[in-house]
Amino acid sequence: MKLPRTQVAVLEAASATEPRLISTIAAETDENETAITRAAFELADASLLDVTEETTESVTLTEEGEQYVEHGLPEVRLYRAAIEHGAENAPVSIGELLDPADLDGSAVEIALSNFARKGYGEIESGSVSIDPDQDPDSDAEAAALSAIDSDADAAFSTDVLASLERRELLVREETTARSVTLTDDGVTALMEGVDVADTVGQLTPELLTSGEWQDVDFAEYNVAADTETIHGGRTHVLRRIANRVKRVLVGMGFNEMDGPHADADFWINDALFMPQDHPARTHWDRFALSDPERIDDLPDELVDRVRDAHRTGVSGESEGYHSPWDEDFARELALRGHTTSLSMRYLAGEEAGDLEPPQRYFSVEKAYRNDTLDATHLLEFFQIEGWVMADELSVRDLMGTFTEFYQQFGITDIRFKPHYNPYTEPSFELFGRHPTTGELIEIGNSGLFRPEVLEPLGVDCDVMAWGLALERLAMLITGAEDIRDLHGTLTDLEFLRTAEVTY
Amino acid sequence: MPVVDIDTDELRQLAATEKDDDELKRDLFALGLEFEGETEEGALQFEFAPDRLDRLSVEGVARSLRYQYGHDRGVYVPTTNDPEWVIEVEESVPDERPYVTGAVVRGLDMNEGELQSLIQLQEKLHATMGRQRAKGAIGVHDLTMLKGHRGSDDRAKSITYRGVAPDGDRFVPLDSDAELTPADVLSEHPTGQTYAGLVAEYERYPAIYDDIGLFSFPPVINGRRTEVSTDSRDLFIELTGTDQWTIDKMCTIICYALDARGGRVERVTVDYPDRQLDRPDLSVTHKTVSHERIESVLGSDLSTDSVIDYLERAGLDADVDDDRTYEVAVPPYRVDVLHAIDIVDDIGRAYGFNDLEPRYPDVSTIGGCHDRTRREDAVRDVLVGLGFEDMLNFHLSSEQECFDRMNVESDPADSDAFGVSRPPTIMEPYSEEYTIVRTWALPSLLMVLENNTHRSYPQDLSEIGLSASVDEREQTKVHERRTAAAVLARTDASYEDAKARLQAVADAFGVALETPPTAHPSFIDGRTAAVVLDGERAGIIGEIHPSVLVEHDLELPVAAFEFDLAVIE
Repeated sequence: MKLPRTQVAVLEAASATEPRLISTIAAETDENETAITRAAFELADASLLDVTEETTESVTLTEEGEQYVEHGLPEVRLYRAAIEHGAENAPVSIGELLDPADLDGSAVEIALSNFARKGYGEIESGSVSIDPDQDPDSDAEAAALSAIDSDADAAFSTDVLASLERRELLVREETTARSVTLTDDGVTALMEGVDVADTVGQLTPELLTSGEWQDVDFAEYNVAADTETIHGGRTHVLRRIANRVKRVLVGMGFNEMDGPHADADFWINDALFMPQDHPARTHWDRFALSDPERIDDLPDELVDRVRDAHRTGVSGESEGYHSPWDEDFARELALRGHTTSLSMRYLAGEEAGDLEPPQRYFSVEKAYRNDTLDATHLLEFFQIEGWVMADELSVRDLMGTFTEFYQQFGITDIRFKPHYNPYTEPSFELFGRHPTTGELIEIGNSGLFRPEVLEPLGVDCDVMAWGLALERLAMLITGAEDIRDLHGTLTDLEFLRTAEVTY
Repeated sequence: MPVVDIDTDELRQLAATEKDDDELKRDLFALGLEFEGETEEGALQFEFAPDRLDRLSVEGVARSLRYQYGHDRGVYVPTTNDPEWVIEVEESVPDERPYVTGAVVRGLDMNEGELQSLIQLQEKLHATMGRQRAKGAIGVHDLTMLKGHRGSDDRAKSITYRGVAPDGDRFVPLDSDAELTPADVLSEHPTGQTYAGLVAEYERYPAIYDDIGLFSFPPVINGRRTEVSTDSRDLFIELTGTDQWTIDKMCTIICYALDARGGRVERVTVDYPDRQLDRPDLSVTHKTVSHERIESVLGSDLSTDSVIDYLERAGLDADVDDDRTYEVAVPPYRVDVLHAIDIVDDIGRAYGFNDLEPRYPDVSTIGGCHDRTRREDAVRDVLVGLGFEDMLNFHLSSEQECFDRMNVESDPADSDAFGVSRPPTIMEPYSEEYTIVRTWALPSLLMVLENNTHRSYPQDLSEIGLSASVDEREQTKVHERRTAAAVLARTDASYEDAKARLQAVADAFGVALETPPTAHPSFIDGRTAAVVLDGERAGIIGEIHPSVLVEHDLELPVAAFEFDLAVIE
């Protein structure tokens, strides 16, 4: 019979007549106890050994217990001091006894309560009287303590042990000792001869180069067992979704825009035909900068045309706004509230030169809102911004483009709710059905840019545009309920490490 | 977005319909009014986009429904009576608030609900077109309590808009028993305190007088003498503001609402020193739009008859000429029609946009990502391959996080340490935690470590993101850059671990890495180097200083680097 080395060692160390402790075998064979135990159970499974278990109790003194062995129990010390101070005849005040009994702090309490419990005497109104018949030398607890100190296996009444355990003077521990005995099959196997099988744990370079691997058996692993957890690197879940959106848009023929996060209000709002007294521009949710404050470099002619559009409208029967327009305000710097500022820069020819139709452009980048942070609102978020420029575009083209885009994310049944934006007409809020809950939710805002936007920019064809918060799409796709998990320094690494990868 | 409160019984009566509340909600949704909830009094609240401000009252909403139901078609303009009253405008009127308009409405018999509806409309107009009364403010008065004086053109019924000294004439304002000067009103009266900011800079305050004295202190409060009640039959409406068009439109919207309640509108004469106006201005304006443009925007073929039908259902009128160009009449309560394209939108809404079939535009373009995106993605791939967990932090931060907690003690603007520079700063931030655009990304990664000390280690994190500093040489005066930052938080993290990974990134992009020693307050002296890529100083690498670690509650070493991505090209 061939068995692994450890099993052979256990089999040879075992006896058919006398149980042998596994710990002893481990010490004799210089193996670790876990390995020997495992081998013993494997042999038991093969009916070559019996494994028996015996539970024994061991008792050890605590630090406090050891102190009392040396100095005596506090209540005994109190009794002796009381006798010396004549308490046999008349009660003695406790105060007088503390020093002689060497008691202070919590030891006083301990002494008094055990003194009374053991019937050494009585304590009344701060005075100690004693029972002269007691013999402090035969205190059972003191005797047990010193006996345990000298011999851990000494036996005592369970009452005394329980009392000492309650006083936290000793600790009782149960240990299980396993012993092995050879079975008849084991004896037979040994008599027939047991050889060590050559099994190896680890395949090593030496085994491979020497060719020895051909003569060995590989120890079996428990291949079903759990392993340590590793996380590895992974791309941020929101970044993955942003990249997925970018891929879809590139596939639909869109080119990516790039441009400043901090920009003049001119590009963020004025070029978009947002009146300067529009609540969104006066409200605090605008992220104006105090440093730096103003842009110097704006295209003068464009500024004039935008001003005219605001004040008197564009060509034809157009009216403009009945609102003040101040170039100083247009020059103020702010963090962009939407990435539509990029669209304005591109349409004006500032970034990629004059654009001739047809064009498609997009951006999936950050925009900023001066708001309070909570589970559904961030101060900065990714805006998906896209536009199409062509000689002639209709709302049907707009609807077709967005239907196609959202389809890529499993969002179908798009509804177009007529809406109002200062910069587009017609305008639509986009609603789509949540892929799992079936709820109709807002998923974007869109429209055809107004002539008051396009004419000053020098664009004489149609441009349709739309915007959407990426986080909104991400919450739909990942099911995240707190947007702060998805974005920012409050993120929970566990969430990022375990978030399901979508594609 | 504006919200209108609607008593649905009133709405049914005004719109002449028997529909129940749910049906009304559906019909209103089709108009763009979304049900939001109920008021304590049981009125339904509807939110709508701020273009159709003529729908700020139940009367206006009912008018739109009547068009939707086909009860009404085309433009409606109330008839008006000739003016008896004159508003005289004196030279003393504050320069900041030079404009006034008004109207008289007679023969009303308002119940409490109707009076409340009028007050609500007034407040909603203040909140929207009136820009919280700054641009336009409305005063409504009981006409019988006014005593006109003999005006300059010898007519008997004049009132006067003029400027008054802050401690000038006294009057009893609404909700008060005391005679107060305008300055007293601003300091003592609750409404006066609310709106004091509007006139704070004025030398003289706006005031309107009749023969008896001051009865209105726009844009703050009316006098109690002319207070309107359900007993009021005839009203005088005056509006003051910073723009004539705006207050005229607000006045028009109120006149249409009172006309719907059976009032008769009577014009007033506004007598400026240099001109006279006849108000309210209920004149119809016109826009021309071509049939071709309508079809091109809607992407559909339409007959001219159907276009005219849609226009009339939208409350507009149109004539079409031989070139299929429409001359469209727009009623005076519409404040949202700036351009012919707005007429096309009305046609689309009447047609029903959702009845249009989507189509993918037959336009061919070639897509692609920006170079910056491609570079960032490539670097991110390498970092993730090296085992870094990719982070996405806010660009907004604070000086506390970027400097103080990173052990930077000197003035950032004077420092030449990597990441320490003059930060773009937010004006009036809501939160102390977000006051600047971050100047470097490592502080954000340390914050993530700080917030995740209960999660298992190692925590090897990286981020590719924006940071910025003020730079007068840039067009926007802000230099925006992208950096790659990484931290290794593990019990045995060392400089070597960080450099080995940085070297791998440099090798991946074929740039030469040198790391000459340098000093940086956030790192341990002697274990800090400048990141020099292809000969250009581009970043920092080292072991994070223990004082920074302790500040972030970290109990293990952190090795880190950050460098500007511009050098990888």
